[in-house]
Amino acid sequence: MLNTANLSLEQAPPISIPFRFFLTAPLFGLAAAMLLIWYGPEVMTSRWSPQALALTHLITLGFLALVMCGALLQMLPVLAGVPVPQVVLVGNLVHPLLSVGTLGLVIGFLLGSLQWLKFAVIALGAGFVIYILAVGVALWRVKQPNPTVTGMRMALMALGVTVLIGLTLASGLSGWGTLNYPFLYTNVHLVWGMLGWVALLLIGVSFQVVPMFQVTPEYPGWMRNLLPRSLLLGLAIWTTLYVTAFIDRTTLFWSFACLIIMLVGYIAFAVTTLMLQQKRRRKITDVTLLFWRVGIVAIPLSFMVWAIGRMFPKITVFVDLDMLLGVSMIFGVAIPLLNGMLYKIVPFLSWFHLQNRQLAMMCMSVQIPNMKQFMPDAPAIRQFWIYLAALVFTLAAVVVPDWLARPAAVLLAVSFGMLGYNLLQVVLRFREVSSELDQAATSNQDG
Amino acid sequence: MEHYLDVSMLEPCEPMEQTLAAIEKLQPGDYLKVIHRREPHLIYPMLEKAGFSWRTDPGGPSEFQIYIWRRDDQEAESAVADLPG
Repeated sequence: MLNTANLSLEQAPPISIPFRFFLTAPLFGLAAAMLLIWYGPEVMTSRWSPQALALTHLITLGFLALVMCGALLQMLPVLAGVPVPQVVLVGNLVHPLLSVGTLGLVIGFLLGSLQWLKFAVIALGAGFVIYILAVGVALWRVKQPNPTVTGMRMALMALGVTVLIGLTLASGLSGWGTLNYPFLYTNVHLVWGMLGWVALLLIGVSFQVVPMFQVTPEYPGWMRNLLPRSLLLGLAIWTTLYVTAFIDRTTLFWSFACLIIMLVGYIAFAVTTLMLQQKRRRKITDVTLLFWRVGIVAIPLSFMVWAIGRMFPKITVFVDLDMLLGVSMIFGVAIPLLNGMLYKIVPFLSWFHLQNRQLAMMCMSVQIPNMKQFMPDAPAIRQFWIYLAALVFTLAAVVVPDWLARPAAVLLAVSFGMLGYNLLQVVLRFREVSSELDQAATSNQDG
Repeated sequence: MEHYLDVSMLEPCEPMEQTLAAIEKLQPGDYLKVIHRREPHLIYPMLEKAGFSWRTDPGGPSEFQIYIWRRDDQEAESAVADLPG
């Protein structure tokens, strides 16, 4: 069988597009940590405080969304076999719109400024609409979608719902329109954001990257085929039950039960991933695996603590369970999974682009560093331990914010700073080798 | 002559690195047989650029065999064509 599948660089965006998303993201993480240092414990006393909302969105939009959007633009040609239409234009528009939109939203929250909130609605709205349309066109062009493509489609739909509700909330706060049920909208917004967009994309991508990068067996067929669709359906059912019960002021039992059933699905994914990692054919532990183990173990732990707390409210009277769940989902699950993945994606892209250029130029005199030379383990593992300390302190700070909020913030700042620095080193090395290739090509032509 | 390379236990980008290093050493009449646990779509355009041809045989549920030879090497090409596929 002669295979002429041409999944390659020709379809992928220029490397500067994903790199700018990946290098900007740690800066937003750093900004979130700085905000926590500045405001201290008051950020953690209520999830409704403007400071808490600002911090949450610095992480969810500034770090998570930028990394995920950048990675998806880059990975679609490779994982799904389809290019994003007008990918350069889309990247050039979406990156600045999301970045300034996030800053506008944060400033709007912190200053209570209606103008900044309106600006954020326009910038984030435009950025996400362009992004969802472009990626949506690509994803729905795939004729025979594999489970990863299905997961990405479900995630993109969840992103659409999250953004729509988020924009409605921000518009209401900014004075455009009225907002009748802010509590209801906020809960639906964050559930679709975390359990929809973030979780479904991670699940869909894991189906490919865990077996590929961690050299494990494949996920079971039933899980790959059923899980993303079932979870999206579950989210829709939960929303209907929750909204109806909330507006009618009847019992929330059925929506709670629906959520618990869905959590079983996420936990099944987490347990399966851990079991696959145990069956790794290659037993060398690398930094991505360390980050992934934390992120995956945190899924059942966070849900169980939350569910038990809900069932036995008397034992958790001193802890804001929702805050604890939010912190553990964002800092314990989403951040380490993306952090770990960045340590694979950025050196891989660097190596892959340079290798392709070298072959195209037939310029073998320049040695292309391999992935480990682009991103050595030692600095990445140092960042992993700092991150882990930051996670422990941040979780503990939910219980005793007065003592631990600022130490947690300092550790988070160091962790994001180190991540940004490490990624920057890869990009600088990429540019260095790239210019060596240019010089070699010029001297070849001259010779 | 057949050269053999098993990259099925390696993580990206080592399979590609080792394959590209191995094909550089192919002598006239030689081809490389690569054992991989996935179909290596990303390497095909690289092989194309570097002047190589290939044939991919799925050898089982979790194994692929990829035969690679220099595009202008008739002898290697017919040796691969004679292999059961």
